[in-house]
Amino acid sequence: MAEYWGIKVEDIFNTMKDRFRPDGAKGVDAVFGYDIKDEGKWKLTVNNNVMKIEKTDDLSNCVSVMKADGETFVGVNTGKVDATNAFMGGKVKVDGDMAAFGKTGKLFRKFVIAKKEMSTKEYLVDMFATVVPRFKAGESEGVDASFAFDLGGPDGGKWTVFIRNKECSVTETIEGKPSVTLEFNDAKDYVDFILGKIDAQSLLAAGRASAKGDINMMQTKWPVLFDKYKDPVGSSVPEQELLVLKKTISVNQKYATGPVMGKFLKGLKDKKIFGNKCTKCGRIQLPPREVCAECRVRAGDFLEVGPKGEVRYMDIVYYAMPDPLTGIARETPYGGINVLLDGCKGNETLPHFIRRDQIEKIQMGWNEKKGTRVRPVWEENRIGDIWDIKYFEIDE
Amino acid sequence: MGKRMAICAVAQIKNDPEYRHLRFQNMLLECFESIMGQTKVTFDMEKGIRTIITCSDDVFDARTISNNGITDVVGAHFRGEEKMAQESINGLGYGMACILSGHDDVILFMGHCKESQGESRRMATNLSYDPFYSRPLGMDFQNVDALQARAYMEKSGVTDEHLAKIVVRSRKNAAKNPYARENKLVDEKEVMNSPMYADPLRELHVYPVTDWAYGMLLCCEERAKEFTKNPVWITGYGSCMDRYFLGDRDLSSNFSLKNAAKRAYDKAGVRDPKKDVQLFELSDHAAHQLPMWAEGVGIADEGKGGKWIDDGGMDKFSVNLSGGQLNGNPLLLGGAARAIECYYQLTGQAGERQVKGAKRAVAQAATGGAGQHQAVIVMEA
Amino acid sequence: MAHKKNRNVGIIGIGQTKHSSHREDVNQPEMIHEAVSLALKDANLTMNDIDCVVHGNMELFEMVHQPDMWHVLGTGAYGKDCIRITTGGTVGATLSCASDNLVASGMYDIVMAIGFEKLQEGHTTAGITNMADPLWFRKIQAGALTGSSAYDVEREFGLERANRASLTYRIIMDKHAGLNPNAHRAFGLEFSQIDDLIKSSPKLVGELKLIEMCSQSDGACCVIYACEKKAKEMSKNPVWIRDHITAHKEETFTIFGYNREFPVMKTHKFAAEQLFRRNDIKDPLNYFDVFEMYDPASWWAIDWLRDFFDMKGDEHLKLIEEKEIMIGGKMPINPSGGVIGSNPIGATALIRVAEAALQVRGNAGGHQIPTPVNHALASGFGGTMWTVMTMLEKELNW
Repeated sequence: MAEYWGIKVEDIFNTMKDRFRPDGAKGVDAVFGYDIKDEGKWKLTVNNNVMKIEKTDDLSNCVSVMKADGETFVGVNTGKVDATNAFMGGKVKVDGDMAAFGKTGKLFRKFVIAKKEMSTKEYLVDMFATVVPRFKAGESEGVDASFAFDLGGPDGGKWTVFIRNKECSVTETIEGKPSVTLEFNDAKDYVDFILGKIDAQSLLAAGRASAKGDINMMQTKWPVLFDKYKDPVGSSVPEQELLVLKKTISVNQKYATGPVMGKFLKGLKDKKIFGNKCTKCGRIQLPPREVCAECRVRAGDFLEVGPKGEVRYMDIVYYAMPDPLTGIARETPYGGINVLLDGCKGNETLPHFIRRDQIEKIQMGWNEKKGTRVRPVWEENRIGDIWDIKYFEIDE
Repeated sequence: MGKRMAICAVAQIKNDPEYRHLRFQNMLLECFESIMGQTKVTFDMEKGIRTIITCSDDVFDARTISNNGITDVVGAHFRGEEKMAQESINGLGYGMACILSGHDDVILFMGHCKESQGESRRMATNLSYDPFYSRPLGMDFQNVDALQARAYMEKSGVTDEHLAKIVVRSRKNAAKNPYARENKLVDEKEVMNSPMYADPLRELHVYPVTDWAYGMLLCCEERAKEFTKNPVWITGYGSCMDRYFLGDRDLSSNFSLKNAAKRAYDKAGVRDPKKDVQLFELSDHAAHQLPMWAEGVGIADEGKGGKWIDDGGMDKFSVNLSGGQLNGNPLLLGGAARAIECYYQLTGQAGERQVKGAKRAVAQAATGGAGQHQAVIVMEA
Repeated sequence: MAHKKNRNVGIIGIGQTKHSSHREDVNQPEMIHEAVSLALKDANLTMNDIDCVVHGNMELFEMVHQPDMWHVLGTGAYGKDCIRITTGGTVGATLSCASDNLVASGMYDIVMAIGFEKLQEGHTTAGITNMADPLWFRKIQAGALTGSSAYDVEREFGLERANRASLTYRIIMDKHAGLNPNAHRAFGLEFSQIDDLIKSSPKLVGELKLIEMCSQSDGACCVIYACEKKAKEMSKNPVWIRDHITAHKEETFTIFGYNREFPVMKTHKFAAEQLFRRNDIKDPLNYFDVFEMYDPASWWAIDWLRDFFDMKGDEHLKLIEEKEIMIGGKMPINPSGGVIGSNPIGATALIRVAEAALQVRGNAGGHQIPTPVNHALASGFGGTMWTVMTMLEKELNW
């Protein structure tokens, strides 16, 4: 079993039970599959706020199956890999019901990588390995110095950091005559000092550390020349939690309809569809507008068109679009159509919806091809609204 | 290219508490047709209008891209259109940039707002504040204007009686302006007894909810004569932004207005506004702002607003003969209303309100709470 | 024949944030401040040098009314002239046009344009839908999502060729984005994945697939403009703005033809024709060395290339199929990775101008075109098919 960031694919599945959130499982009743390349298959059953995870060979009864390689799977679950990017880039695939799979996102608490302890030796290696990357060349104009570290104890060692010509280098010995030398009796004290667990004054006072040479250089220059060392295991100060303020803002509106849109909406109430015609170019606008934009003149007389017509274009919408007025997501897929109503020509189409179960049967019209004939289905109680037409349906 | 821009024609509908029967498209169309009729301007790509500047607001229209629904009624189909999303007065400043740059000869400048459409304009202006601190505290332009009123009245000796006087005069003046919102004439007692909105501001101290639309034709110096015999010139424009947090500002200082006025005056060559300018239109969203802005544009002495009113400063300097913002214009459009009044005055079409021999006028308007952003234009006959 | 201009204007400073969907670490003014600081540093200026700040975005995406008031904390506009001009998705390009006008007019010597958006702070598709007429179309529209462009291309060239052209374009953009450290999305896609992605990428609307649609990003961009005199004094490599044009379209959604006998005039085509005619550009495909195009989805992009460059038949598809739109190709499109790569809407169109200017300067970094860039084009898109186009030049010699 391969490990990624120190974690096995199995670790993710084995901890699911502990990470399960009954809150997030409300209303979920489904079996989900996971097919992890070279690692195996798992089946997750969620029912009545209870979950079961099992390794299996058979994912046939799953509502949706997630497919990924081990690294991506661990990465997504631990936050090391951006889930959207992995999905968009094809590294994560979902077979079956996409929307159902989306619910698994709320089922579990995040997998947290257990904190691994680092030994003094590992710290020292990391601290001196990061000296060069932490070096700020821009601050080193005119600096020609060397900093020596003589650290005792079982894990100890010797290092020298050179700065010359705005470049930084490190050796694992003490060479020549350093500008300043730091001596620690025990290398562990040095590690604790750098991690901020112990202060220099008390070490010096206790005789556990000493400095020779240009001490001022060490105290004032070093902090400017180098970024602070970051503890890879996590700093002793907890990271600030980034709060996000969530708020739904609504200001009630009353939209006047005016004489033109008003006439159109009133027409719908009476099961009539009105367009208006430009007095100059003759085009019909649907719904009617105050002016003909092309001719820059006030649009002319209203005329009744349709109600039947021919589909010229249909958008099959799969994206679960929230209705901007209610916030409720529309059921998908649905068909948004442009209908060329009888009495209209060219681009004078009316946008509306088609009956959902008829999407598959719709033909889009073009010069050589007739589009499907459709008719409006009227709402029983009409109030002068675009939804007075529930939708269009095939006119058979 | 010249140093000044002409206003060749203006059009407007009457300011109204609520146009129930009109969409803003209908309101704009009235103005559009009027400008076309007055000037016979075309949309020819060489000689006509290539650029339209509009002014409106997404939050007040409750529409993302509030200028999207008006492309046709402002003639912008296959032409350029850009929206001034601050106070409309800045649209005149920006129009000047388009024309003096040489990019455009002729510009149509139109604006609309239906303040009556939303449930509460205070809910709208509350959204102008940061969502974390000022918004939950209930800051909106009215509350913030009230904080300013308290600070300014303390500093300048402006009293509740002075505020009442300003309101009474505003409504009297507006009664002579055929496009002004029709408000009941009131006496000082009524003003002082009107309900308290945000201490010290009362209902009648604050401009009322208004629907309005306007249009103007702007043109370069060389071609103004093609569209009118009587152009009015914009010779100076300046604006200035103040700090955001109220605690960082001196609300009674006129910091941004003084800067904006100085910038406009410098460009127009106005040395002493008291002598060089015959007419002032100031955007008083609340009554205390009339003397305060008068200090800011340099016709009242600093900290002496109360005395200035007592000495008859408002009439002496012909301030807000239109009735001012206080009588009612939509929030964002007060500056255009001020400029249109100056246009009427400078072309001798102001009827009963006419200032004889007016040659130069100043229009001012503010965006944001307590005039955080200020802009001033200088107009000349 | 050049379009007349009172005085020349050069871009002398450019700054943009890393575009990302994870900017919970900064609020709006703080994010803007990042871009402003970078632009000032790039131009070696301080706020004291700036005469006027131009600010823009779309208010309802974050639900902040007149946001320039709050944002003064990050824009640096305190004590300065400041205006706010907006259009639609075009707003960033409009900020650039406005800044050019403000400087060219002689009213200001140095102007700073700031475009920004924090799309994670609202619902983008609902925000776009809110631009439709509340009386009817708002109830029907699905944001900026439509499969109509795909249908157009598919009807003309067949589904397979159309799909492959769209994905080829998409993968080229991804490869470009991979070279641009500021890009929001760089997946590391390969051309070998085309067939797989056509099958596996979830459909949004019609043939428009998730992989083909632009991202929703947080980000800000800041560009500094100066008059000729100051630009020459202050900058070693100013990029000159030659001309710009804006064309809007009526709100009605007749954005493609339903009948061959009733062709629909497109704003991109109209704007390009007008702009090139008045600047005497006879062969734009040869004249320009790079084009930063506002490409909200790969379908639209492949269709629009034909409009912008007035190409005939399937020339535009060939340009894509032969990968001539890649860095190093005949007409490199969006070395930055384009809008598909990063889309903080209020900044997006300004980023097009900024990225085109970086190419002219020759210091775009990893995504710099290897050959000299003397003439650059940038486009903006928004509203109901609105267009803004901007022409940039290395030398003042037109």
